[in-house]
Amino acid sequence: MITIKKLSHDFVIGKKGRQTIIPVLRDISFSVEKGEIVTIVGRSGSGKSTLLNLVSGFIHPKEGEIWISGEKVSDMNEAKFADFRIHNLGFIFQSFQLIPSMTAFQNVELPLILKGINEGDRRKQTEEMLKKVGLLDYQDHYPGELSGGQQQRVSIARALIINPPLILADEPTGSLDSETEEELLQFIKELNRDMGITFLIITHDDKVAEIGDRTIELRDGRIVEEVRLLCN
Amino acid sequence: MQLKDQFRFVRQNMKKNKTRVFMTILATAMGCAFLIVLASVGFGLQKSVVKEMTERRVITQIDVHGKEGDDGGSFRPINKKDIQIFEEVKDVKAVTRRKMLQQEGNFSIGNYQEPAQTFVANFPSEVKAGLELSEGRLPKGQDEVVVGYNFPLNLASKDAPDDRYDNKSQLKTEYRYSGKLIGEKLELTVRQLKDGKQEEKTIPLTVVGISKKPTKEWAEDRSVFISDTILTEIENFTGTPKGYLLDANSEVPTDQDIHENSFDEVKIYAKNMEAVQGISDQLKDLKYATYSVVNELKEVNMIFMIAKAGLIFIGTIAILIASIGIYNTMTMAVTERAPDIGIMKAIGANPKTIKRIFLLESSYIGLIGALIGTLVSYGISYAVNFAIPLIIKQAFGKETELNIIFSDIPLILPVICILICYGVTIISGYRPAQRATRVDVLKAMRREV
Ligand SMILES: Nc1ncnc2c1ncn2[C@@H]1O[C@H](COP(=O)(O)OP(=O)(O)OP(=O)(O)O)[C@@H](O)[C@H]1O
Ligand SMILES: [Mg+2]
Repeated sequence: MITIKKLSHDFVIGKKGRQTIIPVLRDISFSVEKGEIVTIVGRSGSGKSTLLNLVSGFIHPKEGEIWISGEKVSDMNEAKFADFRIHNLGFIFQSFQLIPSMTAFQNVELPLILKGINEGDRRKQTEEMLKKVGLLDYQDHYPGELSGGQQQRVSIARALIINPPLILADEPTGSLDSETEEELLQFIKELNRDMGITFLIITHDDKVAEIGDRTIELRDGRIVEEVRLLCN
Repeated sequence: MQLKDQFRFVRQNMKKNKTRVFMTILATAMGCAFLIVLASVGFGLQKSVVKEMTERRVITQIDVHGKEGDDGGSFRPINKKDIQIFEEVKDVKAVTRRKMLQQEGNFSIGNYQEPAQTFVANFPSEVKAGLELSEGRLPKGQDEVVVGYNFPLNLASKDAPDDRYDNKSQLKTEYRYSGKLIGEKLELTVRQLKDGKQEEKTIPLTVVGISKKPTKEWAEDRSVFISDTILTEIENFTGTPKGYLLDANSEVPTDQDIHENSFDEVKIYAKNMEAVQGISDQLKDLKYATYSVVNELKEVNMIFMIAKAGLIFIGTIAILIASIGIYNTMTMAVTERAPDIGIMKAIGANPKTIKRIFLLESSYIGLIGALIGTLVSYGISYAVNFAIPLIIKQAFGKETELNIIFSDIPLILPVICILICYGVTIISGYRPAQRATRVDVLKAMRREV
């Protein structure tokens, strides 16, 4: 599903002439198989988010290759990557990233609008998806009128609506209490089991790390350990 | 993304800050109205001038004043040979030529009299050019004459007082000749100074026809057409060509031109308006001095073209000023919506789509502004045309109706305005739209924009 070859990245900060180069990722290579749940752990500042942002296409790598579903996404330009994302990738963010001026329904519907699907089909699919995450009764609520857990479910519905084979999540439970966290983890497992969706999840949390088939640990921008959790 | 959804997005976005959008539309509308009203004055005045020019003259008519001599300076009058040349030019319908009696003939019938301009005309060509009679027939005999439509209306009693005219400067009916005219005897009296004494000669004539009422309301036709033989008779009496009137210290003019059988009024009628240009070009090559309203129209239209372009240019400046508002509004909109744009980009919105939505929004503002501006300018134009004549009437107390159109908006004007406005909107909306596509996803998601 995902293959990463010799990926390196660093940030350049400061004004011209007094630039500082901050190396973040060094020579990262790993792959994620179809149907796997892979978690990435590591101390704060180890480069986890940077790695996920590279895979998501939000930043462009300095060196190395990223392949997703057989496509070399690291060579794509912004527009191409955008089209790739809308058809292949689902996202779950720590802070949900819902559009505050749109209702739950409209937020979930948005990817379908961007894909150019017509209104009738959109309505049906969106309602189905809201039902699946148990928020059909809340479809006309704005994000500000929903609890954190509910907002995260809306954002999951938005990620799932395009039927992505791969979902990328950066600390998806970071803003949730332990009970809702447990619910979310169960839901992820269910999606993985029933629909074969591949997950790449970044976390601090051991409980989250435990649901992975595999855990990759980053330290100072390098992979230090790859643990296969056989218990799953 | 479907166009329908893009429009829906745009409308939703515009609703988020109604006041700002409204003010921007207002500014654009004002700019457009300014442009249209300003330029409409050019269009209106042009229309008035052209109307005036074409109403006073027959559009297919070319006046020939003379032919340039070989020396290049002096002009000589048109003679029979020239007429033959004219008649052979392509697309010429008729060539009318008139000789004019060089003094005012005094016509009388019984106790009624009237001074009138007297011509010798070539009737076949006059008929071809459109001469029609309201009564009677064309002359056959040499003492037969045709009079203009207004001639009988001005035939006044010899003892009519000075205030014989009514307030429309028409001869009052009580002094007007009321009998029939066709078949009646009419006497023409010509004068000449001979050995210091005024002598008169009376020539008997018969009226056989009256011409048709001139089509133009303001035109008045009081002329009398006599035959060549009568003109010769007059010349024999006066001893001058065409009855030229001598005064105490002038001699018989020796100018060869007048002696020649030359014509005083030569008019060429083209078959249609399009042919006028070709005919006058040919005549110009043959060194004839001509005048036609078509030629003049060309010049007048050229001048107005430049004037209108200038007015539209000034109006465009107003739209450009309004476009600063559009630029500002769109920049604000992009800034405000940057977090949303970031999220949309993150889940896979194409930068092109985002750009299109913002361009659509600025076009929307521009076009609505232009449409409102157009409607308003039609209103203003109507009001101006209604009010200015009233004001002028008030100020000068004039009763005469003004035939000037102060403001005219032909369809092309709103079209030009909308195109200019649309172009300006796209230009001013382009940078903000471009900026929207460059919103950084990560920064937007961290609410750093
Ligand atoms: N846009 C940026 N410009 C400059 N440096 C950056 C940028 N983003 C991240 N960094 C640096 O890269 C390093 C890794 O950051 P990253 O966000 O990937 O860490 P992380 O592992 O996700 O940490 P956390 O667990 O706290 O979220 C940090 O040292 C950070 O300062
Ligand atoms: Mg992080």
